[in-house]
Amino acid sequence: MLFLKECKKVIFSLTFWIYCLIVVLDFTSQYYPDCRKAASPPYDGYKLSEDHGRIMEGAVKSLAEGYLANRYICYPLGFYKAVKLNEKERGQIEECLEELTGLSAAEISALDESAEKYGVYDGLHEYTGYTIESIPLSDTLTYERFTELMGKVDDTLGGGSDFKPDDLVFHFSKETLTKEEALKEYADFTDKDRITGALARLFSDYAGITLGILPVFVAAALTAADRKRRMTELVYSRRISSFRLIFTRFAALTVTMFVPVLLTMAAALIQAVRIYGGSNISYAAMFTVPSFWLIPNIMEAAAAGMLLTELISGGAAILVQFVLWFIPLLKDSGMLWGNISRFTLICRHNSLFYREQFITHMGAFVFSRIFYILISLILVLLTVLVYELKRGGRFNGVRLFGESGILRRKA
Amino acid sequence: MSDNIIIKGVNKSYGKKQVLFDIDLTIEKGMFGLLGRNGAGKTTLMKTLAALHKKNSGEITVCGVPIENAAEIRAMTGYLPQEFSMYPSMRTDEVLCYLGTLSGIPSRECKKRVTSLLRRVDLIEHRHKKIKELSGGMKRRLGIAQAILHDPKVLIVDEPTAGLDPEERIRFRNLMCELAEDRIVLLSTHIVGDIEATCEQIAIMDSGKILWRGTVSELLKEAEGHIYTVNVAKRFLPQIKKEYIVTGMLAQNEYITVRIVSDAEPDLPNPVQTAPDLEGAYMYCLRSRGCDVCGGDE
Repeated sequence: MLFLKECKKVIFSLTFWIYCLIVVLDFTSQYYPDCRKAASPPYDGYKLSEDHGRIMEGAVKSLAEGYLANRYICYPLGFYKAVKLNEKERGQIEECLEELTGLSAAEISALDESAEKYGVYDGLHEYTGYTIESIPLSDTLTYERFTELMGKVDDTLGGGSDFKPDDLVFHFSKETLTKEEALKEYADFTDKDRITGALARLFSDYAGITLGILPVFVAAALTAADRKRRMTELVYSRRISSFRLIFTRFAALTVTMFVPVLLTMAAALIQAVRIYGGSNISYAAMFTVPSFWLIPNIMEAAAAGMLLTELISGGAAILVQFVLWFIPLLKDSGMLWGNISRFTLICRHNSLFYREQFITHMGAFVFSRIFYILISLILVLLTVLVYELKRGGRFNGVRLFGESGILRRKA
Repeated sequence: MSDNIIIKGVNKSYGKKQVLFDIDLTIEKGMFGLLGRNGAGKTTLMKTLAALHKKNSGEITVCGVPIENAAEIRAMTGYLPQEFSMYPSMRTDEVLCYLGTLSGIPSRECKKRVTSLLRRVDLIEHRHKKIKELSGGMKRRLGIAQAILHDPKVLIVDEPTAGLDPEERIRFRNLMCELAEDRIVLLSTHIVGDIEATCEQIAIMDSGKILWRGTVSELLKEAEGHIYTVNVAKRFLPQIKKEYIVTGMLAQNEYITVRIVSDAEPDLPNPVQTAPDLEGAYMYCLRSRGCDVCGGDE
């Protein structure tokens, strides 16, 4: 049976064993120590209130402080940047502040006098920071108009600021949990999640990061194996259809790469049983949640690895997937929970609590998982197409480097 | 369904460079040799026949099936490329089973065929060896085994004896002759000895064109009267190499017997007209059709 033979090929590759090692190391260094002790109520936790008034007040105050200092801390592509605006751009921010607060330009500038000043040195720049006690909001300001203006502000700042409309809730609505709320979170953990539901989310959060990139190495190695072993023509000249061959290889990659993840799930379950006892937990949750969460990650990375390796020679597959994986990860590095959108590849929920937050995003979470399964199937279909073209001698793949490479250095 | 390969007016280019020019050829059942120098276009033609390259124009039918029907062509064709290897960590029988599966052979049937084929190519004792432990000759024989695993009607072998020692080469030639009893075997090579030992029907290719097509005896006949041997002092050899095509030499003390190809009687002491061998006939064929043939002087 071809599927088993392809699985065997994967299993006997060095790349697969390196993959297994990293999966296990990731589990033992991230999830396992975090869950070594029984969880206690999150008294030091916080919640996102989604109170529009609170969000607008916090965001406008932060914007005014940035305006006075003419320094805005942004993270474009995940990297720290203290943005300093020119006069024209500063004028645009001023216009936004006028509309947001109902204050005139002179009144906004006058905030300078009442604000508390302090020196800031961020390692690169030295400037004066401002803390404003309070700032009014315009009587006519609606939340919709507020988010529009925040969008403009984020554009003026070059993106990656706290004012990005999608991130406003996260940055400006945090509230510390009360004791009752912390106890409720804990009750959700034990009763609704039956412990392993929450553990499974944390497990998936950690494993999801690794599985967003690692499978591409294994997939690229398997896909390049025929070429590397000078076996291509022996395989090309066989009767099997490109569709069946590529899909079987994809299935073999997905299944074999899921097995070590499954074993770490079992290890996580054993740990949970030892800590919380077998009668209080849901056995199934430790397998169902991570499977639904992580299989799309494996599938997407494997499919991208296959397609890019067929399409482009060399390590391009790894490079491209690395960019796809790294940028959103860095971009959302501050938001470890409650920030799952419909197109999020690496879903995060780095907490045993805040179940309600996760449930709020359940629709987007389910959508994203199905979306990436479909994307991976489309990528595999494209791989079939590229493979068929190469097989018939109509396409030889794109070379980036070397004599005929598109990135070759000119003499 | 016909048992032949018909090639009509086939042209093929790689980008702007044309490598096959109006190829016309009919290949019947049995051994067929395609002889030509390196770079003559043999491999391109072989790959086109194995549906691995797309022709730019012309028609090809393999046993009545148009070459455009790649799936059917692959099902009836066995291909042994010039340069190939296999997964080094797989066992000999394992790699054949894998390729058999890709050819759609059911698992149980495949195991039987693999055993029988390994016996036929004399590798049965090495069936548990890993590919990386096999010698060059063993790999070539394994290559033939994979090519006939699905019992194809057409076997295409490209430079199969390159790099083999004389014993392996003889063994390989014999094997191919056996295989040609019930199928078309198309052998491409630049080694005249391979053709001489195995093929009756041949074609000579050069610069992407078919120069000559016929039987070995016809080629030999065409060269009659153009092959000479002369016995000269060794010191004259460089001069002879410059002026004539030298196809053989035998040194004896101060003298050397040189076998040369020449249109007319060479202007050398006591030339003796001799019966042509295939190598000489091949060189004469190239020369008489205007090809730039090196006289043996490097």
